[in-house]
Amino acid sequence: MTPEPRVIGLGLDRVDGPAKVTGAATYTMDVAVAGLLHAALVRSTFAIGTITSIETAQAAAAPGVVAVFTHHNAPRMKKPSWNLITPPPPVPLQDASVHHYGQYIAMVVAETPQQATAAAALIRVEHKAATASLSLDAPALKARSNPYFLDAKRGDVESALAAADITVDATFSTKANAHNPLGLFSTVAYWEGGRLVVHDSTQNPYLIRDSLAKVFSVSKDKVQVLVPYVGGAFGAGLRLWQHVILTAMAARAVGRPVKTVLTRPQMFTGIGHRPATIQRMRIGALRDGTITAIDHEATSTAAKVANVLYPVTLSTPATYRCDNVRGRDRQVRLDIPSPAHMRGPGEAEGNFALETALDEVAYAIGMDPIDLRMRNYAKVHPQTGLAWSSKALDECYRQGAERFGWADRTPRPRSMRDGHWLVGYGMAGVTYGHFQAKCHASLTVRDDGTVLVRSGATDIGQGTYTVITQVAADGLGLDPANVRFELGDTDLPRAPQAGGSGLATALSNAVRDATVNAIAALLSLASADHASPLHGCSARDVVVAGGRIHRKDDASRSETYGAILTRNGRSELTVQGSSAPSRAETGVLLGSLAVSRMGRAGRRLVEATHAIAPAGAFAAHFVEVRVDPLLGRLRVKRMVSAVDAGQVLNEKLARSQIVGGIVGGIGQALFEEITTDEGSGRVSNATLADYLVPVNADVPDIDVVFVGEPDSDNAVGVKGIGEIGLVGVAAAIGNAVHHATGKRLRSLPFTITELMD
Amino acid sequence: MSFEPPLVRTAVQVNGFERKLEADARLTLLDALRDVIGLTGTKKGCDQGACGACTVLLEGRRVLSCLTLAAQCDGRQVTTIEALAGDDLHPLQAAFIRRDAFQCGFCTSGQIMSAVALLDEGRAGSDDEIREFMSGNLCRCGAYPNIVAAIRDVAGGRNHDA
Repeated sequence: MTPEPRVIGLGLDRVDGPAKVTGAATYTMDVAVAGLLHAALVRSTFAIGTITSIETAQAAAAPGVVAVFTHHNAPRMKKPSWNLITPPPPVPLQDASVHHYGQYIAMVVAETPQQATAAAALIRVEHKAATASLSLDAPALKARSNPYFLDAKRGDVESALAAADITVDATFSTKANAHNPLGLFSTVAYWEGGRLVVHDSTQNPYLIRDSLAKVFSVSKDKVQVLVPYVGGAFGAGLRLWQHVILTAMAARAVGRPVKTVLTRPQMFTGIGHRPATIQRMRIGALRDGTITAIDHEATSTAAKVANVLYPVTLSTPATYRCDNVRGRDRQVRLDIPSPAHMRGPGEAEGNFALETALDEVAYAIGMDPIDLRMRNYAKVHPQTGLAWSSKALDECYRQGAERFGWADRTPRPRSMRDGHWLVGYGMAGVTYGHFQAKCHASLTVRDDGTVLVRSGATDIGQGTYTVITQVAADGLGLDPANVRFELGDTDLPRAPQAGGSGLATALSNAVRDATVNAIAALLSLASADHASPLHGCSARDVVVAGGRIHRKDDASRSETYGAILTRNGRSELTVQGSSAPSRAETGVLLGSLAVSRMGRAGRRLVEATHAIAPAGAFAAHFVEVRVDPLLGRLRVKRMVSAVDAGQVLNEKLARSQIVGGIVGGIGQALFEEITTDEGSGRVSNATLADYLVPVNADVPDIDVVFVGEPDSDNAVGVKGIGEIGLVGVAAAIGNAVHHATGKRLRSLPFTITELMD
Repeated sequence: MSFEPPLVRTAVQVNGFERKLEADARLTLLDALRDVIGLTGTKKGCDQGACGACTVLLEGRRVLSCLTLAAQCDGRQVTTIEALAGDDLHPLQAAFIRRDAFQCGFCTSGQIMSAVALLDEGRAGSDDEIREFMSGNLCRCGAYPNIVAAIRDVAGGRNHDA
């Protein structure tokens, strides 16, 4: 029997494709239930202070209005449980205090959306505003050091900087960005007896379920969260937001289903944003290119109302071999809406500083930027000395450079031209971690040979529907057409968030485990059965292919899953599967901190464990830009990205995911910045016409190549690639701009003013 | 002062069927399609005419249904994503799947309706032309290169047939 090609990795079309191209896919805002009411939210127009009066009589009397809620009459609710990574917001409408611009201060529920919106405009609010702290450079702000207890160091940075041949000491800044998924975040909630059903735009349905159960004092099994499709999220869906609480509150109070669809301006204040940062990067190097010191200090903004785990320097100590490294985070708490994780949180900002400063080092010593990175290549995890579970960043540099034509680059700035356009080539490397969590799945084999896999995960566009179908088909030797994967429902086995580049690893391994368990369960039926050709076989005696279990010693003797079930009087068989992050993941974090605290002794201790350092994905981005020096126009002409993604689950979709990340990176580099009015904190560009995101004409052809081997730290060999496409793009573009113009841009987004001669 | 908007009677031809509406004068074509008629394939991404997710064909031309009042459509033909496929998918729908021209899928209805019009407008002669004249349709997942490829496939096929 010749082995069939593996289903894992094949570039199959998305299984949810037909639903999405015909308009049949049902997103939260599309949900219609009988008796549905519509909500409109009123937001504060000032940053901090107190509502002194709120007049709702006219709104309440307006046509179609069913209820108006303010802090005066909203039901009292409990606080959701706190958690470190995705803390909940304050429960809304509980008192007269306002903590940021855009805080919800009233909610109107009416028969139609138009009636709700019109009535909301009739609410009159008086307030007393206090002086707000709104930006990183606000005077008299005290930054908190090491706010996440994750600061890391090794060696002696100051001595190494003093002894270096050259040093780069530069300050970088990045602005607040809005996730702006195209799908307006929406919630539909209704109560059936004591049971709450919520449709929500979320990446983490279980968090929403558990939080709402707490808020409304019902048991978790009395709350169901449904999310078959999400119109993008990029991290905005990792938290519980106030509009979700309000929608469930209103539905309970009026006894009818309620739908809330945020407006685009509300999307800028109600679902988080990428915080602004100011970073200082100091690098010391010898003339031969040895980097002897890296000191990375980053200050980022956080809201006073909710703290979010948002380390910016976390990746830096894990990136290059350098003996003396320090990563220090600082945090400034402001009167702003809460930031949230946004694709590549912390890394997208931190990598910009590190990879730009490295380009500056390369120019200072006259070395090619790739040679510099290879000279300081971290063959082992540099903070702990542990072996990586896999790493092919060197191949990323090599293959990326080759495909890009890096050898054609003349290093001197302003040395390449095309007519009046200045041409620049730039590159950046990326070392990216991932955040895995426990995951469960069920798998049902039916006597007709079809398989149903279920898990309460979400597919926000990353392709989970498709790749998990492939993983199950691969594990059972089935045609993917015979496998169906259901997700997005908290009545299914518990899955973690689609976020932190961790879901593909967690879920594919849980489903792999389920396929192994299914084969074992089927074999235990067949093995004891004298009529079965598999009689007496255990798992190691068989292989699966073509929807059958075959004996290894005689491949002609085989049986279909359906035949096994039928002969045993079963119509179907259901098994569970699960996965958990490897212990090495916690090990490398603790090891890193041990080295920080105990120095060389700590390192010896960690190395003696002979553990491995679980690697996330690695990448190298290569960019060609064109700059018009008279008009300051900057165009990204082409890009090549080489990615060590471990075992790719679906080459077509993986490529799309990297391309999508890169487009986000182009946005971060060229366009994206939330601007606010002084004093009030009003977002002054809260529309998609004013807050610029890349459009089709901004994006060139992007060549993506995957390199490397399956990762050794999980059975499927996967590494998460949801975020790595974005990280590093800004630095690569900035470095290309420097090559084109001789100008070193250290503030995102790059502006026309900086680019004009 | 509360405001009672007038009801407006409209008969819109939606995907070949007459739909009689007696509705709030403020009702947009987008909300009429989604909330009244129940065709939710057309998406609301901004409600401000800035994202293109709500693109439909009005008398064969692409319009933003969030900036079009239902009352403006009396007696006119509206075509939405739901009407594109017959027994088989429309070539653009098939090309969008083959080229993986979407991820979350939320902008996809608008992208495809815009692309249908683009081909009719004769604006798909080159990749640069496709990029330029599809730039009113935002895709935050960043599927643009694949959208261009999908449209190029269908435009190329048309040119080839001709």
